[in-house]
This record gives sequence, C-alpha cells and structure tokens, in this order.
Amino acid sequence: MKNQALNIDNNPENKDVRVVTKKSKKNKGKWKRSESTYGYLLVAPALLLILMIAIWPVLQSFYYSLFDLRLNNPTKSEVHLSYNIDLDRYLNNFPFLLGGIDNEIRSGNAPEQLEKIKQKLTEIDQKVQDSKGIKTQYDKVNEKLTNFEQIDQKLSVAKLDKDTAQSVLKEVNEVNEELGKVASTMKLSQEKKLLGLSAGLGDSIIKPNFIGFKHYQDNLSERRMWNALGNTVLFSVISVAVELVLGLAIALLINKVFFGRGLIRASILIPWAIPTAVSALMWKFLYDGQNGIVAKLFEDIGLVDSMSKLLTTDTGAMFSVIFADVWKTTPYMALLLLAGLQTIPSSLYEAASIDGAGKWRQFISITLPLLKSSLLVALLFRTLDAFRVFDLIYVLTGGGPANSTETISILAYKVMFSQTNFGEGSALSVIIFICVAIISMLFIKLLGKDLLNDSSEK
Amino acid sequence: MQKKAGPFFYLFLTVFVLIVMFPFLWMAISSIKPVTELFGDKAFTPYTKNPTFQNYVSVFVDFPFLRYLWNSFVVASITTIYTVIVASFAAYAIARLNFKGKTVILGIVLSVTMFPQIATISPIYIFLKNVGLTNSYLGLIIPYTTITLPLSIWLLVSFFRKIPFDLEEAAKVDGASMMQTYWKVILPLAVPGVFTTAILVFIAAWNEFLFALTINTDDEYKTVPIGISLFQGQFSIPWGEISAATVVVTVPLVIMVLLFQRRIVSGLTSGSVKE
Repeated sequence: MKNQALNIDNNPENKDVRVVTKKSKKNKGKWKRSESTYGYLLVAPALLLILMIAIWPVLQSFYYSLFDLRLNNPTKSEVHLSYNIDLDRYLNNFPFLLGGIDNEIRSGNAPEQLEKIKQKLTEIDQKVQDSKGIKTQYDKVNEKLTNFEQIDQKLSVAKLDKDTAQSVLKEVNEVNEELGKVASTMKLSQEKKLLGLSAGLGDSIIKPNFIGFKHYQDNLSERRMWNALGNTVLFSVISVAVELVLGLAIALLINKVFFGRGLIRASILIPWAIPTAVSALMWKFLYDGQNGIVAKLFEDIGLVDSMSKLLTTDTGAMFSVIFADVWKTTPYMALLLLAGLQTIPSSLYEAASIDGAGKWRQFISITLPLLKSSLLVALLFRTLDAFRVFDLIYVLTGGGPANSTETISILAYKVMFSQTNFGEGSALSVIIFICVAIISMLFIKLLGKDLLNDSSEK
Repeated sequence: MQKKAGPFFYLFLTVFVLIVMFPFLWMAISSIKPVTELFGDKAFTPYTKNPTFQNYVSVFVDFPFLRYLWNSFVVASITTIYTVIVASFAAYAIARLNFKGKTVILGIVLSVTMFPQIATISPIYIFLKNVGLTNSYLGLIIPYTTITLPLSIWLLVSFFRKIPFDLEEAAKVDGASMMQTYWKVILPLAVPGVFTTAILVFIAAWNEFLFALTINTDDEYKTVPIGISLFQGQFSIPWGEISAATVVVTVPLVIMVLLFQRRIVSGLTSGSVKE
C-alpha cells in the first residue's frame, strides 16, 4: 500500500518539485483550518436527514402519546392543547337551530319557553363572536357558507379561551336539556331536527385532548399489552438463543478449507436476502393444515399429533413462527460468527494442542474469548431485530390464534391502523422504543467501546 | 483450525444446503403443479406429471404483479442512489477528516440503526397524509431514509477507513484540495465499498414491509412484499400463484447473490452490521 502512495508522489506528470513544496506549505495550513469546516459541511446533510426523519418522529411519537388522538374522530384527529371552535360546523348549525325555533314560535308551539331558549342561544352566539380574535374569521366563514364555498380546516378552526369555551359548553348543554323538556311536554313540528341541531352545536366546540400519561397507565395495566410483551420476549429469547447455538455450531463446522465454499455462502445468503414477507408466506404454505408438506413432516415424526394443530394452537403457532425465523436467520448468524472465527490466528490452536489442551478446552479458552465481541455484536443486532419482529408474524399468523403470537409491534400496529387510535398506538411504540433502548444499553455496556472503535485515531 | 474436509463433512454440507433450500425447492415444484395437485393426496408428491405454467401466466395477468415489481424497483433504486450519495459524504468526513464530535455523530448514527420502525410510524404517517404523499413513490422513499441512511453511513465508514491514509497525505503534498482528494483519490478506491453498500441498501429497501404496508395502500403503488402477502383468491388463498410469484421474486435474488456474494458477505461482516 505504501508503494501506491509513493507512486503518486513520483508521478512524472506532477508539477515541478519546488512548486509542490511551496504549495504544500500553504496547503497544510489551509487543510487544517478547512478540515473541520469541510467535515461539518459533509456530515450536515446526512445528520439533518437523520434528525428530521428518525429522531424527530420518535420525539413526536412521544408527544402524540400524551393525547387522545383518533384519526376517525374529527374532533380528535389532531393534537389540541387548548379549546377550539370549529366555525364551519358551528355556523352550519346555529342559524338553522335559531330559524327552526323561530318557526315553532310562529306556529305557536310553546312560544314562551322557546323564546327563552332563543334568548339564551343569541347570548351564546354573542359570546362566541365577542371572543378575542374570532370575529373576522367568523364573518369570513359565514360569508363562504352563504356562497356555498369550500372551507379549509385552517380557516374553520379558531382558538377559544378556556372560560368562554366552558361557559358556552355549559349553556349549550342547558339549551339541550330545556329543549328536550319542551319536546317531551309539547308536540313540536320539527322535533327531531331541532334536537339534532342543538346536540350538534356542542360538538363544534373542540375540547383539548391532552391526557398526560393516561395511555401509559392504561397500557401498563392492560393484560393484552403484557401478553404481547411476553410473547415478544419469548419469541426473541428462544429464537435468538437457538440461532446463536446453531449458528455457532455451523460456523465452527464450516471454518475450514473445502471445495464449494461459494455454493455454501450463496445458499446461506438466499434466505437472508428474500423479503421476510415472502418467506413468511412460503412457510404459511408449508405449515398449511391440509396441504403443507412441513406440517405433514412434523406429524409424521410425531412433533404434532395432527397437522392442523400447527397453526391453530397457541404453542403450535409460536413454535411455527420461531422455526421460520430460525430458518431465515441462522445462516446469517453463522456468517457473522464465521467472519469472527476467521480472525483468530491458527497458531493459537497449534500452541494449545502442543500444550495438550483438548478440543473443548481450546473452544472455552481460545475461541469463546476471542469471539466475544463478534458474538455480542451479532447478538445485539439479532436481539433487536427479533424484538421488533413484525412482518414475519403479520403475514404468517397475523398475531393469532387468539393473540397467542401477537407481539408488541403487531399490537401497536393494530391499535394504530385498525382502531385508528394513534394516541394509544404511539404510547405503545414509545414503550417498544424504551425496551429497545434498554436492551441496546445493556449490550453496549457489555461491549464497551469496541462498537465505536475508531481505527483512524492512531 | 484449517483442517481437511472429509466425506462426512460433505455429507453434512449437502444436508445443510438441502434444509436451507428446501422451502424454495418446494415452492418451485408447487408453482408448476396444476391447481388440482396442490390439494389432497397429490399435495405431498415432490414431482408432477403435468407441469404447467398457468400459475406464472396468472400471476402477471390476473394480478398486477408487474406493477408491484416496477414499484419496488423504482422505490428501491431511488432510495439507494440518494442515500448512498448523502451517506458517502458523511462517511468520508467521519472516516477521514478530523473534527470535533465525530464519535458522537457516529454514535447517533449507530443508535438510529437500532430504532424500531414502529416508533416512528405514527408521526411519519400523519405527516405524509397531511401533505398528500400517501400512495406515492416519494411517500416510501422519505421514510426509508430512517433505515437506509444510518445503515449506509455505518457501512461506508468502515470501508473508507480501510483505504490507506498515505494516499491523502500524498494528495495533500501534491496540492490537491479537499474535494479533489475526495473525487480523484478516495472515491475511485472506495468504489467496491460503495457498490457493496448500494447492494445492501437496495435489498433493505426492496424488502421493507411496515412502511409499505401502511403508507401505500393503493394497488397502484404497492410494493412486492405487500402485494404478494395480500394476494387474495376468490374462494381460497391462491397458493399456486403465490408459489409462482415467490419463484419470480427469488430467482433474480439468487442470481444477484451468486454474482455478488463476496461483496455482500464483506458488507455484512464489516463492523458486523445488521441486515
């Protein structure tokens, strides 16, 4: 390698030697000064992207987890720290309610009580209009509504101070009650419409959906969460342990010179390279209760008493999932460990055997200690991967039967995208994040500084 | 422990390869069986007397499988190109230049590779939905950065570090600027490493599931893993088609692995990085 460097130095096409020395003197200072500037400049785009697309969302997840956030509920589909009023909704309601009441009064249905209610409603409206900074927005929305124009969310939602909002809500409730009373004693011509409109009026006030740590409390006291966490731990511990033992055994066995290494390496890489979803689908076919060859095989060797039990019983499903994961990642584990084994100088083993150490002794006192950091790194990444397992289980069992293979990622996904409860789902994903952080910290403590070992610092 | 391999060893290897490859072989056999032989007694025979390509035809005719392949290809390629470019600058700086805080930066990069994707999905989904990027290529390329960028920085740093430092010294002496050194000296030598990183990033983006599942729900924009796993027949799961689709997805991967196995292994084991 040194030669290569010298070659460049001696390159005849390079400029005059004197010029070079002069230039290099000037350059050295410039390099030093500019080196860190360039360094920051070059790192900046990547760092910025990581901040925006990875770190910021995690913080935001935590923020969302403090709110009652539901995408299918229009009043809760966004984070609201304060009271707001949906003017679009309000103005689609209020004038018609007032008009309806006027009609009833004109046709002589309980005019006295209704007059009182009307009085109250106008007071409420006045209160809303008088609220700070709402008037212009109120008029704009009103104008657009009369012109049948589309109103966007931004224009429609206005901030309402807490006191006004609460008193408006209280009074709207009173109006609701009184109207209900009138309707129960008297026959109104448009009873249903009026009651509906007055009930809808309250919905236009958007309450703050900040709920603090309630999602965490709920989750931590819910059995389903603990069940999912238990499944995740069970899956991770068993699959990683089996993969480690098998992977190490395979690595030790194939750590020698033999014909056809390329073939072995390729066949090791293929399960790793195909999409997990595709391999899960493949196993779903092989495990099939009626036509699955692997299920049949398991039945024939007595592992299960009937093929159909593989995917329909709790233990059967968990076993199937772990087995599929072991199939997909053991070869990869073996590959990582093999790379570690190949860095151990064979002279150590020769010396050991001269000293009369047996195979087992050599394994314990040479292989394991020297393989420690490779082992831990492989374990760290595999454990984290296993802990956040999603696609394998989602495709193979969907978390079933009866949630017996539901891991915490699957649960978080279901809460977020099937129940559209993003607040609770975010809380679950923060819990996953914390677990992952704890696991990595434990491993990094074991690994020490090996992981970030910077060989460029001489 | 460089021992000679005996016959038992080769027997073991054969068994090992057979076990590892068995699911693929079985899928390949099933894909050419006629539908009637996928169920019942014949489901367990490892051959068929009436091979047919009906399943393969059906995959492309009855399902928008070509569309899925194209979507995956577009998303994975763009992600790979842009991440590797951004990452190579950062990795060059971290590996070759001296500035304060680079160990911290590398630490951040490493910890981001450990982030569970599910922890970022709710804000990313809400953001993409608000700006109207769900069901688009960009909607996947953006979140894929969380996975691919830290991975490629991590890989590239270890590749860049392997390039001898004398070269830079020489370039300095010759009066090359920082950028010239990067483009003319370091990058040409780093090409194998950059290529390896690109392969691994491409595979990671091609295989991604969670973001693809949640963000692109429209058939127009589904990627291969999602497309296949949501294959639905009229009455039952169309195993014949699924087998054929699996083969279609696996064959190019096998070719790629055979061609680039050395590179992939060097990438996977450099710094013992995750998938």
